[in-house]
This record gives sequence, structure tokens and C-alpha cells, in this order.
Amino acid sequence: MGPLKSQTPLPSLAVLEALERAAAENVPVALVTVTDSAQSALVGNRILVWLDRDPAGALGLGELEARVVEDARAALRRRRHALLRYPDAGLELFVEVQQRPPHLIIVGAGHIAQPLCRLAKICDFRVTVIDDRTQFANPDRFPDADRIIAADIRQTVRDMPMDQDTYVVLVTRGHSLDVECLLEIIDRPLAYIGMIGSRRRISAVFSLLTREQGIPQESLDRVHAPIGLPIGAETPAEIALCIMAEIINVYRGGQAVSLSQLR
Amino acid sequence: MNKEYQALKQYLQAGESVAVATVIDTRGSVPREVGAKMIIHPLGAHVGTIGGGCGEAEVIRAAMDVLQTGTPAKVRVDLTEEISMDSHGVCGGIMTVFVQRWDP
Repeated sequence: MGPLKSQTPLPSLAVLEALERAAAENVPVALVTVTDSAQSALVGNRILVWLDRDPAGALGLGELEARVVEDARAALRRRRHALLRYPDAGLELFVEVQQRPPHLIIVGAGHIAQPLCRLAKICDFRVTVIDDRTQFANPDRFPDADRIIAADIRQTVRDMPMDQDTYVVLVTRGHSLDVECLLEIIDRPLAYIGMIGSRRRISAVFSLLTREQGIPQESLDRVHAPIGLPIGAETPAEIALCIMAEIINVYRGGQAVSLSQLR
Repeated sequence: MNKEYQALKQYLQAGESVAVATVIDTRGSVPREVGAKMIIHPLGAHVGTIGGGCGEAEVIRAAMDVLQTGTPAKVRVDLTEEISMDSHGVCGGIMTVFVQRWDP
């Protein structure tokens, strides 16, 4: 999109296409709209704001415009919508930060992965399921997964791009495989790592990892294991729910106490 | 891009004007979060929800005016009235909703 003249309104479709492109490329963008103004003609004016390039469109705010763009960028960095108020100018704007859907990677395509995938999709997560068994990792079992990878588990986990929007749940068929995958990702800046396992098993494995592999305790403290919230879950669906509840608790900064904090 | 914007794009591509209602501020307990939106279509083919019930009905009414005049509006949805059998809003909070017409 080229530079637009200051009084040119940003065409509606251009706004939506830019939002669409940013979503596809996972680029942070915000739509900024004047929601109140002493000059009523300004209400409804909108611009698109990115972190690293000039805004598209113009709000018509004169010298205040640059400050508004900077304040909108601050909201974009915080990744939260913001209502900006400038009482001296009689001005109010809404900064709508385009949400980037969190990505849940379910490692292991067994009986907990299935309901977990469904719950995560309902909660608007992007979901990837990984298993090396095609009879488990297939679209019949995971009809709403965004991506299903049937390949070597450990290597797939190692090569998979992950970032601070990534949530990883380790629920493979075997605990030692879970641990191998854990060691691949433990130092990555992820939003969440959860690993299934009983309290007894987890504490035995973790003390082994600190003692024999020299994994620092603070790295292990990041891992949600035993996984989930203490809601007394028993069936696979209930366990999936307790995992998803923990993930939402992390995602939204809730106040529930995790099973892993009770260990 | 969220589903409301996808729907908005389709309406605009089909040459239709619609109103977009967005929750821009909340206080107390309210049914939807800041950023939640709803597309209001002149013939009732709405997309999304800003919480349903009477508050939403109020916003839809305001959106009909916005569609007619093209002038954006801010609607304060007050859900703080006392809880009783016939009360409309029992959430306990206040939502501010911005309504704007989008033209192709």
C-alpha cells in the first residue's frame, strides 16, 4: 500500500484486505477509529497502524496525529485494545489490535488429544496435532485441526517454529517420549508447556533431569506438570477440559491455581 | 482476520452497506469483552453478537439509524438496574458500543 494523501479516506475494502494480509502473515496491526470528537466530522475516521511502517490513511487530527499513532503503537506492543482519550482536544479513539490466534500444538494424537483439539478450536485457537502413527494422526480423528503432522515426533517438535503465542501440550503414548520432546523445547520462549503424568512420576523424572542432565530447576518450574487445573477430572474429555482451562488461565492471566503449583 | 470482518468483507464486496458495532469500553460485569463486534445488516442478516438480549436490541435500533444517516453513534448499554424478576439487564455493568456504517 503506497502513501495516502492526508485527506484521502482509507477505502473500506483496503482496510479489510490489509487486516487479512496481516493476519495471514502474522504481522501486528491495529485499526484506529475516532469514536468521539468535539469536531463531529472527525468521528469515524480511521487509520491502520503497524509497528514498523507508516500508517495507512489519516485521521485529520493535525499535530496530535503523530502522538495518537505512537499511543496506538504502544497498545499494539501490549497486544491489547485501548480506548485513548485526549480530554484537552475533546477526542477519543478506539485502538483495535488485531488478535493473533494462539497456537496449540498437541504432541501425541491419543484419546486426550481428540477432545483437547475440539475444545481448543471452540476457544479459537489454531491447533496442530503431531504423532508418528497415521492411524492416530489423521483428519478422521481430528476433523477440525488446522494441521495434522504424521511424522517422527521428536524431530517434528524440534523443527516446528514456535513463539510466545505457542502453547504445547505433551501427551504422547509414552512418558519418556514426552520428556524427550520436553527437552527439545524447554528453553524456547513459549507461552505454555504442559506435560501429562502423575505427580509421583513427574517428580521422579524432574529430579532425574536436574541431577543427571543438569537441567536447571527454573526451567522445570515453567513446565505445567502434572498438567491442568485441579477439577477432579477423570475421563479423557474431562482431562482435556482441565488442560484447556489451564491454558485459558495462562492466556487470560486468570487466577486459578494449577495442579503443578500444588506439587 | 475474525469472522465478523470476513462477513463485513463479503457484504462490501456484494455492494451492501452494513453497520459495525464494537464494544470499546466496559465497566463491571458485562456479557462481552472489549473488541467484541457485531455486524448489523439492514434486513436483519446480522453476524456476531455483543451480548444478546435487550442491550443488543438497543444497539441494533441505534444501528438502523446509523445505517440511515451515515452518522456514527456511541451507545451506552447500562446493565446495572436492580435485579428483579422483570429486569432487563442483570449483568451489573456498563458497556460502551461504537456503531459505524461501512460502505462499499
